[in-house]
Amino acid sequence: MTLVSPGDAPVPVPPSVDGRRLGQAEQHDALAARNSRLIPGELLTIKIRRSEVPAGGDIYQEFQVPYQKWMRVLDALNWIAENAAADLAFRWFCGSKMCGTCAVRMNGREVLACWEAVEPSMVIEPLRNLPVIRDLVVDRTRYEDKVASLEPWIERHEPYAQFPEPLTHKQMKDASKALDCISCMCCYSACPVIGLGNLTDFAGPAPLVQLGQTALDPRNSPGKVRRSLELTGIFNCVSCYKCEEVCPASIPIVSRIIEPLKAKAAQLVPEMAKHSFALRDIVAGRGRVDPGELVLRVQGLRALGNLRRILRLFARGKINPMKTLLGTKTGAAEAAGRLLGNRVGKQ
Amino acid sequence: MKFAYYPGCSARSTCAELNDATHLVASKLGLDLVQLEMATCTGARELRAIDPAGFYALNVRILALAESHGLPLMTICNTCTLNVLDAHAAFVSDPELAASVNARLAEENLHYSGRTKISHFLWVLHEDIGKQRLREQVVNPLSGLTVAAFYGCHITRPPGRYGFVDSRNNRALELLAEILGCLPIEYSGRTECCGFHTAAHDERVAIKMTGQHVLAAKAGGATAMVTPCPLCHTVLDSFQPEMEKDIDQKLDMPVLHLPQLVGLALGLSPEQLKIDRHMVPAGVLDSYAATAPTGLK
Repeated sequence: MTLVSPGDAPVPVPPSVDGRRLGQAEQHDALAARNSRLIPGELLTIKIRRSEVPAGGDIYQEFQVPYQKWMRVLDALNWIAENAAADLAFRWFCGSKMCGTCAVRMNGREVLACWEAVEPSMVIEPLRNLPVIRDLVVDRTRYEDKVASLEPWIERHEPYAQFPEPLTHKQMKDASKALDCISCMCCYSACPVIGLGNLTDFAGPAPLVQLGQTALDPRNSPGKVRRSLELTGIFNCVSCYKCEEVCPASIPIVSRIIEPLKAKAAQLVPEMAKHSFALRDIVAGRGRVDPGELVLRVQGLRALGNLRRILRLFARGKINPMKTLLGTKTGAAEAAGRLLGNRVGKQ
Repeated sequence: MKFAYYPGCSARSTCAELNDATHLVASKLGLDLVQLEMATCTGARELRAIDPAGFYALNVRILALAESHGLPLMTICNTCTLNVLDAHAAFVSDPELAASVNARLAEENLHYSGRTKISHFLWVLHEDIGKQRLREQVVNPLSGLTVAAFYGCHITRPPGRYGFVDSRNNRALELLAEILGCLPIEYSGRTECCGFHTAAHDERVAIKMTGQHVLAAKAGGATAMVTPCPLCHTVLDSFQPEMEKDIDQKLDMPVLHLPQLVGLALGLSPEQLKIDRHMVPAGVLDSYAATAPTGLK
């Protein structure tokens, strides 16, 4: 088995047991494995979450659908609409992973109905984090409004350097990844921070990918990009990679969109990245993170409002105020100081 | 079996018990750990966004330190693991980056050739110790102990890179729990996020998100949770009183570091494994501990 890293560079061949892949076979984590579980004509059990009209509340309606070779979730939905429930509401258009309209949750995972193999037993639900219009159809207005507010276009105030303008693949590598987005909302549904509603001002992965198409384009004016980034709440991203996991377009959303956008924010709106600079300064000074200093520097006096927790942590020896106040260095401090410098905002 | 061992910042401060438990369990399992005392922080999630050059320098330096010992690298923190994996991948795919980092490392006579094998303790247990040898070492099967495995993010995602499969299909922790005699439970939080990485500036996200996962573990019948990541542990354990307040419900869910769960099955006592250093008391586990503690107390 050969593993492939982003640059297609070889990494060491794993030994016979691969801890990272344990469970893959039992869980049928491959298209061929899933298809091999079914024979044509066999009945699939499909439960669909339906908006119950008029009584209110949702119900799960069960259907038995005969399996056909290479059957997709969309084929199953179409079979149900044609043979069992003509009033089932679901969206699709291209059927070939282009239009991004047929995303649903199948057994708790965001999938494109047109691109996902059926499973013997499926629960199909509408996407999360967007209001349901009916059955599997969601209202995308929230997303569209957010994208519009970010003004995802290019503004230029300076004349072009020359024509044709020099632009390298390397300069466009992140923006061009963002251009693969089909706006299917799988990532928006999978994002746990968006799942918390209005708790934070985080724009969410899908709007950030849309913004990345132009904000990561080197031709965009920094002032324009700054205005957009100020509205993203981007440092509320928890870096869980849930968005990458469900993206049918395989966009590395965290590493190629959100992190480069965070880097832009750190440059153009440094106050947004206050905690990141604090962490870097602490590591540069001490070699390792002192959690007490990090919290004090990021939260200031607000941190002391949480006195009960501080005492609790102190009682169990989890924090050491003396170390924090004395700025105790570790053996790694010298190397960290040399490699990071201590200039705030350094790129 | 010998490893260059990188504990990371958390296991040297808020989760110092994790470092102690790792050393105890490693010596029981015959793992020889050379702790990289001079290694820096890997930069958490913050450094990689604001200072990529600094991020690569620190992480490649850790890999070079392991290489200077001629040993594979073993980590015990998810985020550190992904950071060194990312830095390694960038290093081997970008010769310019590799040359510039090595030039900076040359000042302290370090050099990275791109050959350090990176492994997390969870993978070491499966790959290097193996099911058979682990079974033989279990002197105190934790029969009937229901545990909820909490994987966290950075040793299961991003998908498609570094050999990661769809994270939701991971079974490494559950299989391990079974080897130790436990009954792993199914629940919705297994491969969800703890929210640690935004907790320094806004802990409400971590409290709300993780409260749901602990609640699901409790509803699923878990006696304890186990995690391979000290950052997840910090949220699951230290923030639990805030979660209880948020959902207005008692949780009382003890959370174990992975080596602590293994240690209990190997006959080490909760005191030796410093389980009493956690915020949520784990008295309920006493009945599963070996009656006569053995080992290095």
